[in-house]
Amino acid sequence: MIRGKIAFASGMLVALAGGWLAFPRILYQTRLQPVDFSHKVHAEKAGAKCEDCHSFRDDGTYAGIPTLDKCSGCHAAAMGTTAAEKTFIDQYVTPNREPQWLSYARQPENVYFSHVSHVKLGQVKCERCHGNEGGTGALRPYQQDPISGYSRDIWGRPVNRIGLRTEGGMKMDDCVNCHRRQGLEYSCMGCHK
Amino acid sequence: MSIDIDKCNGCGACMVACAVENNIPPAPEAANDRKGITWIRVYKVDNHRAYPERRTAFVPVLCQQCGHDTPCAHVCPQQAVDVDPATGIVGQMPERCLGCRYCMVACPYHARYFNWWDPKWPAGMEKTLNPDVAPRMRGVVEKCNFCHGRWHAAQQKAAAAGKREIDAADYVPACVEACPTGALRFGDLNDASTEVAHDAQRPESFRLLEKLGTEPKIHYRSQRDWVREIASAPRPEGKDGLRG
Amino acid sequence: MTTTRRNLFKFVGGGAAGALLTPAPWRLITDAALWSENWPGIPRPARGEIRARFTHCTLCPAGCAVRARCVNGQPVSLAGVKPHPIGHGALCPWGIAGHHLPYHPARVRQGPVKEAVAAVARAIAQRGAGERVAVLDLRPGRTVSWTYRRAMAAIENGLYLTPGQPAYSIDLAAAKTVVSFGAPLLDGWGTPGNVFAARDHFRLIQIEPVETRTAALADMWLPIRPGTESVLAAALAGETTIAEAARVTGVEEEAVGAVQEAAQSGSAVVLAADPGSPLMSLNAKFGALGRTVVARRESPLPDAWKKAAPVAEMAAAPDGAIRVLLIDESLPGGYVPWSTIEPKLAANAIVVVFSSTSEGYARHAQYVLPAPVYPEAAEDIGPAIDTVAEVFRIAAPLVAPVVPVVKPGEFVAQMAGLPQGDPLRERADAIHKTGRGALLSYADGKSTPAKEVTADDFWKTLNQSGCWMDETGKKAAPSGLGRSVTRLTSHDELPLAVVVAEFNRGGLASPLMSKLERESNLRMAANRVVLSPADARANGIESGGRCLLETACGRMNVVATIDAGVPSGVVEVAGGPRMADLCGASRRARVVRA
Repeated sequence: MIRGKIAFASGMLVALAGGWLAFPRILYQTRLQPVDFSHKVHAEKAGAKCEDCHSFRDDGTYAGIPTLDKCSGCHAAAMGTTAAEKTFIDQYVTPNREPQWLSYARQPENVYFSHVSHVKLGQVKCERCHGNEGGTGALRPYQQDPISGYSRDIWGRPVNRIGLRTEGGMKMDDCVNCHRRQGLEYSCMGCHK
Repeated sequence: MSIDIDKCNGCGACMVACAVENNIPPAPEAANDRKGITWIRVYKVDNHRAYPERRTAFVPVLCQQCGHDTPCAHVCPQQAVDVDPATGIVGQMPERCLGCRYCMVACPYHARYFNWWDPKWPAGMEKTLNPDVAPRMRGVVEKCNFCHGRWHAAQQKAAAAGKREIDAADYVPACVEACPTGALRFGDLNDASTEVAHDAQRPESFRLLEKLGTEPKIHYRSQRDWVREIASAPRPEGKDGLRG
Repeated sequence: MTTTRRNLFKFVGGGAAGALLTPAPWRLITDAALWSENWPGIPRPARGEIRARFTHCTLCPAGCAVRARCVNGQPVSLAGVKPHPIGHGALCPWGIAGHHLPYHPARVRQGPVKEAVAAVARAIAQRGAGERVAVLDLRPGRTVSWTYRRAMAAIENGLYLTPGQPAYSIDLAAAKTVVSFGAPLLDGWGTPGNVFAARDHFRLIQIEPVETRTAALADMWLPIRPGTESVLAAALAGETTIAEAARVTGVEEEAVGAVQEAAQSGSAVVLAADPGSPLMSLNAKFGALGRTVVARRESPLPDAWKKAAPVAEMAAAPDGAIRVLLIDESLPGGYVPWSTIEPKLAANAIVVVFSSTSEGYARHAQYVLPAPVYPEAAEDIGPAIDTVAEVFRIAAPLVAPVVPVVKPGEFVAQMAGLPQGDPLRERADAIHKTGRGALLSYADGKSTPAKEVTADDFWKTLNQSGCWMDETGKKAAPSGLGRSVTRLTSHDELPLAVVVAEFNRGGLASPLMSKLERESNLRMAANRVVLSPADARANGIESGGRCLLETACGRMNVVATIDAGVPSGVVEVAGGPRMADLCGASRRARVVRA
């Protein structure tokens, strides 16, 4: 009988260990960004601010991750000596090929998020939701959930979402919680399309 | 919205413009007028006389955005229908819908459409899809939402200028913009200075199935008596004992 | 003790219980739901910068100004340009989805270009005496039409043919009464925006056998017996009594009298379904010439182009004389029934058609060469039937051709050995040189006199966002009204009169037209006919039943609808090339069960 209890308990232990320790590690697959881009270099050496590349257009839409023409504007020829820049120019600028950047914050197709409403009207800073990307020397590895196809940033780093601050995730609950905290009226179609 | 039935010539520009704006696919082989998706549909109605006393009129019908006891919102088990308190627009959330089609039964205007098939566009035509509207997969219900993509765009434009209120000229649904005769008009019914508010007050204005008490927001008008008769859906002859 | 199976089950049970206390199964359920939402095959619209680009619609002679909403340069939706003095910001259902045409699944994608070039060259060289080379231009009045005329003047025995382009324009704004003999004024006539802008200022009297869209919205509809329009016209002209007209046409005497009174009250215009119809000569009787019916004005030309072949009507060409026939069907336009063309062809004639659809002349031609579709090619729009001012409008391309295409103008110019050049640029320069008129820019709605703009800016604005207009100049009376040569043969043994109730221009239409034809019953598809209950009963036809429409020229598979609004003795059909081939030469038919 005690054997039985041990069997049960050991099964439970294995499952708990697997679920809490192993699962988060194996759930995500890591992919590399196409170019080894350094925000820090551009902020310091080029004196660029966030809005220089991640800008708003006249109609309020957000340019998001800049397209190749933004980069080619300066990098038509090598501006530094790094191998990463050389690779970039050879593989993307010269053949005029768009780098397939992996977007950490990519939402499902049916989500409508207006950057300009949050940045201009809501006075929300970029770092609040995206973290301090601008100060990093290299882009963080892109961790993707292979089943759903979304980045880890959407769910939030902890798999169980315990201890996650609102801005640490980008699921609908996180948006709704922040809107509630700010006392803003919201409707389904305000954020869906 | 206000619709002048005496101006509508049944051209169908509104139907095509709606499909272009909202990424509605062309009909698959098996589709007919019961299984097609036409968020706005122009019905041909007539005075039930034979030639030469036949007279025809064209009535565009879209989601009436019911304001009171919205039937579809009432019955949805998934809460996939949401009545926006600010605009009064009834929003349908296809991503939440499980496809039970209870709302289609509840809608008295037959203004809701089910995706019987996955959307399929001819090769290359998917390049012409509108990025402001998400395509839906099969198994969910969809309907007119007064071109919410355009409302979002108007909001973005206002936010870029630091304003919270949109400019009414920036928000025109695709059907209203497309109508070549000017039969469709759109605006804020609560704003007494708008054309739609005036149209709603005209003596020849009516709404579809008003006796149901759904308080629809589409105001139709026609000078022709027989058109107004049809829109009030009189009880068929000989069926006086029926309830409702 | 040994490990029993029960222990194994307990182990598994403990594992299951433990698993439920971990995030794993709950996360996997959520992921499975998300995975099921990202169904493969549901396309994701491309994102990018959204800009407006301008062009003109080439799907019909109205040439309405178009503002295209483009994502990364790709048009995703089209709308009219407001305000606009001609188009008034309106587009029709075909124009609204015109940007789909390059991707149409039924588009002609390839053709034997080299063989066609060789065959044409051979045939031209080996012609017999008196054998002609002809170009049939289905959309005359464009700049490329002048290229064809110059080419046919450069080739010996060259013929430039059209379906019959009447040289008049209708000034709707000046009309107080419009008497329309079946012209689809409110659905497929002229420029929609212009018609509806003027609608409140004129009284519309529609005379036709069935209640079309135009008749439904007209101020007065006269249900006339099919084929008796000329008798009613005679009564209106005073050449026969009202009583006689009422007897023959079936229209009440009061109605005929009312029309006569309205037409004689001044500022009237008479329209006909066929713009070249003899009924148009009624306009002379009502003093409309020079007022509401004016001479068509074309924008200025380079002087070098004056050496061009004259315009001839297809029906007037000599029989059996055409050795090489090139048909420009690249833009939807008029259609000459094949039975009218065939007798004009020589025994070993070569027929080349430039088209994007296989529904038109492709059925009859030996060589079908793929033409560009709207909005792929630079074209210009000739004046529409209701354009009174002189205009020059360029339809600038919005996308590159999706399939390898042959531009008919270039083909013909090369064939005739014309010097290479850009005819549109030459014409724009010639217009600019005259110093007349104004350049209207769509982006800002401003109008600038042409002489205040440089030739380069003039060309740039015409190509990017504008048009040239000259509204000055007196209205002149047109000549040659109502002298069309088309002859209809009668086949009275066929019981039903054919009436075209659904205007169908032919050519490709966006697959989204299924909304109007299949997913609703708003418009008749090309293979639909409508019968009265009496005629349906007489032929054993059920609603939705498959039938054969038979005429003296052939037969076609159709689907029948039954409607008590259709008079007996009439079959309503939708237009289009197939129907024109069947019913163009004779408007009588029979419908039998298939």
